[in-house]
Amino acid sequence: MSTSPRKRPAPDALVAGLVVAILVALVGAVFLSGWGASLYPPQAATSEARNVRGLYDIVFAFGLAIFVVVEALIIWSVLRYRRKSSDTSLPVQTHGNNTVEIIWTLIPTAIVLFLFVISWQSLNRVNAVSASPDIRIHAIAGQFQWQFEYLDASGSKVATQLVPVYDVDTGEGGMAVPAGKSVQVTLDSPDVIHAFYVPRFLFKRDVVPGQTNRFEFTVDASEAGQVFRGQCAELCGTGHRRMLFSVIALTPADYDTWLKALIVKANATPAPAPSGTVLTLSALNIQYDTAALEVPADAPFAISFTNQDPSGVTHDVDVRDSSGTVVANQEVVNGGSSANYVYDPLPAGTYTFFCSIHANMTGTLTVK
Amino acid sequence: MPATGGRDTEGALINVTADTHALTPIEHSPMASLAHDVRGGISNPILGMILFITSEVMFFAGLFAAYFSTRANFVDVNGVKEWPPQEFASILNPFSLILVATVILIVSSVTLQMAIWAIRRDDRRGFLRNMAVTFILGITFLLLQAYDYSLLFHEGLTMGSGPFGTTYFTLTGFHGAHVFGGVIMLGVVLYRGMSGQFSSRHHDAVEAASLYWHFVDVVWIILFSILYFL
Amino acid sequence: MATHALTPATSTYSRGRLYEWLTTTDHKKIGIMYVINSFVFFLIGGILALVVRTELAQPGLQFLADEHVYNEMFTMHATIMIFVFVIPMLAGLGNYIVPLMIGAPDMAFPRINALSLWMLPLGGLLLISSFFTGGTAAAGWTSYPPLSLDGPLKSPGSGQDLWIVSLILIGTSSILGGINFLVTIFKMRAPGMTLFRMPIMVWTVLVTSVLVVMATPVITSALVMLFIDRNYGGHFFDPFGGGSAILYQNIFWFYSHPAVYVMILPAMGVISEVLPVFSRKPLFGYKAFIFATAAIGALGFSVWAHHMFTTGSVFLPFFSLLTFLIAVPTGVKMFNWVFTMFRGQLSLSTPLVFAIGFLTMFLIGGINGAFSASVPVDFALHDTYWVVAHIHYVLFGGSVFGIFAGLYYWFPKMTGRMLDEGLGKLHFVLMFIGFNLTFFPMHQLGLEGMPRRIADYASDAGWNDLNLLATVGGFTIAASILPFIWNVFISLRNGKIAGDDPWEGNTLEWATSSPPPPYNFDHLPEIRSERPVFDARHGRSGH
Repeated sequence: MSTSPRKRPAPDALVAGLVVAILVALVGAVFLSGWGASLYPPQAATSEARNVRGLYDIVFAFGLAIFVVVEALIIWSVLRYRRKSSDTSLPVQTHGNNTVEIIWTLIPTAIVLFLFVISWQSLNRVNAVSASPDIRIHAIAGQFQWQFEYLDASGSKVATQLVPVYDVDTGEGGMAVPAGKSVQVTLDSPDVIHAFYVPRFLFKRDVVPGQTNRFEFTVDASEAGQVFRGQCAELCGTGHRRMLFSVIALTPADYDTWLKALIVKANATPAPAPSGTVLTLSALNIQYDTAALEVPADAPFAISFTNQDPSGVTHDVDVRDSSGTVVANQEVVNGGSSANYVYDPLPAGTYTFFCSIHANMTGTLTVK
Repeated sequence: MPATGGRDTEGALINVTADTHALTPIEHSPMASLAHDVRGGISNPILGMILFITSEVMFFAGLFAAYFSTRANFVDVNGVKEWPPQEFASILNPFSLILVATVILIVSSVTLQMAIWAIRRDDRRGFLRNMAVTFILGITFLLLQAYDYSLLFHEGLTMGSGPFGTTYFTLTGFHGAHVFGGVIMLGVVLYRGMSGQFSSRHHDAVEAASLYWHFVDVVWIILFSILYFL
Repeated sequence: MATHALTPATSTYSRGRLYEWLTTTDHKKIGIMYVINSFVFFLIGGILALVVRTELAQPGLQFLADEHVYNEMFTMHATIMIFVFVIPMLAGLGNYIVPLMIGAPDMAFPRINALSLWMLPLGGLLLISSFFTGGTAAAGWTSYPPLSLDGPLKSPGSGQDLWIVSLILIGTSSILGGINFLVTIFKMRAPGMTLFRMPIMVWTVLVTSVLVVMATPVITSALVMLFIDRNYGGHFFDPFGGGSAILYQNIFWFYSHPAVYVMILPAMGVISEVLPVFSRKPLFGYKAFIFATAAIGALGFSVWAHHMFTTGSVFLPFFSLLTFLIAVPTGVKMFNWVFTMFRGQLSLSTPLVFAIGFLTMFLIGGINGAFSASVPVDFALHDTYWVVAHIHYVLFGGSVFGIFAGLYYWFPKMTGRMLDEGLGKLHFVLMFIGFNLTFFPMHQLGLEGMPRRIADYASDAGWNDLNLLATVGGFTIAASILPFIWNVFISLRNGKIAGDDPWEGNTLEWATSSPPPPYNFDHLPEIRSERPVFDARHGRSGH
């Protein structure tokens, strides 16, 4: 009732074979030429990341092989077995083939079990936390700012980095770590869920309120001097995209210097309350207690600012003019503490004072 | 079923080609299969109700999972890990009004089952009598629960009083809502029964409603044991 | 081939046509209304996606007022696409086709069927209405607390509550629909239609319905608790009031992972109908395919926590293993499909072209899913654009291509007229190119570290070109929908008359007229295999 497809003229098979060969060659060329590199993660910066990268490469190799084989089969079938006007009878009605079906059940099972086992091994490396790491950092992610507390071996705080992003011009900011030493990070949130994510660490970990997560990493010694981009990876509200931070890898000696400077800065006696106009302002529940302030024109003034929100929620009081240009940029204050902000004289006009962390916190500053 | 399908069967055809010599189409009346399942077994409404109850079980499973998770994680402001929290330690006394309500609900399941047995042997009077008793018992349970809520409110237990209050009122509240739904079902069955719509051959609605009511009863027994004893 | 097209049965009612449609309990009319309703929401969700892509085309916030509006856009895009488009669209196709395929006159509970239908536009409109009542939900379609709780910088306002209420409504509609499908499939099959002679489409709807009936009530419970937390001072999910933020994720994903299979299994069913018909061969490994479907359904309940690998509070190896194992039945299906075409006689009509599109794209979605099953790799990829690429390769490359294959395949049955082949292929080509332009670059964006759900990115991060490419692709997809709409519009008026069985189909829907009369069949062919109409056409010799 049906003719075997094998007896059909060959050109179809030739065309189909050629197309499949070209496509396989194309995929190969993409990877050999280096264009395929963009399908790999960025260069690993920690010893854990190198482990993940090794795992990724294996998974990718299997994935690519399966992709090429199955797509080739699909393309071959579509091009080779087109219905022709000469096909009057049905093709062979194959309902299945137990041997083939068992084979293509067992082979994928073997592959995924293998991938599972190597993933598990890698997981045990990547997820390991030691009892006595070289460095301990307590990272607090609040809406929408990171802060990094440096802890001593007993777990008590020695200094806090309130400026999460490294500034190339000033050299300030960022979470510094010594390259080649193990760093344990504990994560806490005072509000919603965030995630600590550094692409070059090939790693992220959620910052869950009410639960302290921890992880450990060791930046490769060869990476000293590098700055790694980090970002919150879990939607945390309107300021999600602005929750950036930097991890700075330093040599152990540079790191010690850096940490000492941070401690000195933290212990510096607060600036005495300046003379002249001193206003008071406080913030609670992500809101200023007043929406309007008034100061004399062309004279320095100060704001005695109290942040009454819980620790982890930072605020500041910056000023921008009516065109949107920021004319005063203050450092943030952690929840539960206060600061005396001193401002340079401003010409008469209407300004906006605002919190650089929370876009909803604004008020009018009238200078006259 | 309205007979909208009253098509002229002469115009109908089976779209098959001529070489179907051996294949005589089987007579298959749509009306027949709509009205009754030819292969017997469990009827459509009862299977539908069983599946609906399955989904309700999963709904309560979600609430119970939340309850046990909350309970396991609970630590009060003083760091004491105790459930119920100290301030509400004696507020849920099983040997109070709530025990009466529990007994009433269990009895209502029994009377409902008696109603089922009655209608199965075409005893319509017995059916209606037991049905009415079940209906009244159901309403009594709801009233008792409402009264019990007012007592708890008086003693300061509300939805907002910590995880304990939230889980208590959510679990019992949703159970109460299901009892309310069940009472409405019983009311409809009672009303239809009074107009003589059920017989030993035709009472799927009664069976389905009773399955639901028994389910609600079982959920209460589990709830009562967990909230008041465990 | 002696086919006579039947004129649709004239109604015995003297009521208007609109009234007839609005009050109908006919599963075919209900199915068509499901499809139309879902398609309207597909367009709305698509426009929201274009808004998102337009904003991301370049670094900086140019197009939208602020980040909050952006968060609303992607939240509503995903919610609409998942709950008001893909799930109801597949339920609608199932509604239309399942009773026909098993030789039943209607669904088991026609009036409940109508209720399920009408809850959908109601839920959808409720969801949309939040645009006009002070802002929509903006905490993502997953709406994780504490962000979705009430409070400053969280989710104050009614948008989140409307979101909850509408999802509960749509979920209830799904549950009632699932029960209806199960009773219909178990109780209403024609004589001779044993379980292992049912078309694969019916099997996939069966497994899907089990998932819906068992999983949807669980998300209802999560939503109810979220609502209580937001409005009645509850403490389920607030970590600072004795609750747990992770609890919600566990309950949410217990539903939402099976929901992924709710969205893909019926599409797989469509493909499994289309491929054999257009290859003129039976499905390769019919029983293996059914067992694979059942296995996916069963495993679907035990892998939910693979969405939570980075939370630090799930048992990783267990969920990793089971997630990997899902690849096995999925792989079996892929081979079954390919070997159905192998040595067949393929007619490259639009339904088959879309089915092939499904195979090639779903393959990618399956492979890049395996990356996330490997926990350490997931640590790198989770919540980046890689995951966005993955879900779109599965839900767009899979479900949406499957849906269009089904619409092109059954349009002649639904309307009695053929769709235009040329426009259909134009639709496919544009959509296929646009789809890959949009979503393939997202793999690279994710690897380079672009997180999901950000309104803006640094111009020096190296993501500009890939984002622009994705935006161009997004508009190409939008353009591909235009020939489809035009095709439907002209074909309804002037399309070629389809006849009963335009594709030489296998299953019972092709044994009745196009469109079928009320109650579907006057006579049925004898059912001796999963291809009764094929048997009737070719006799025993066809085997």
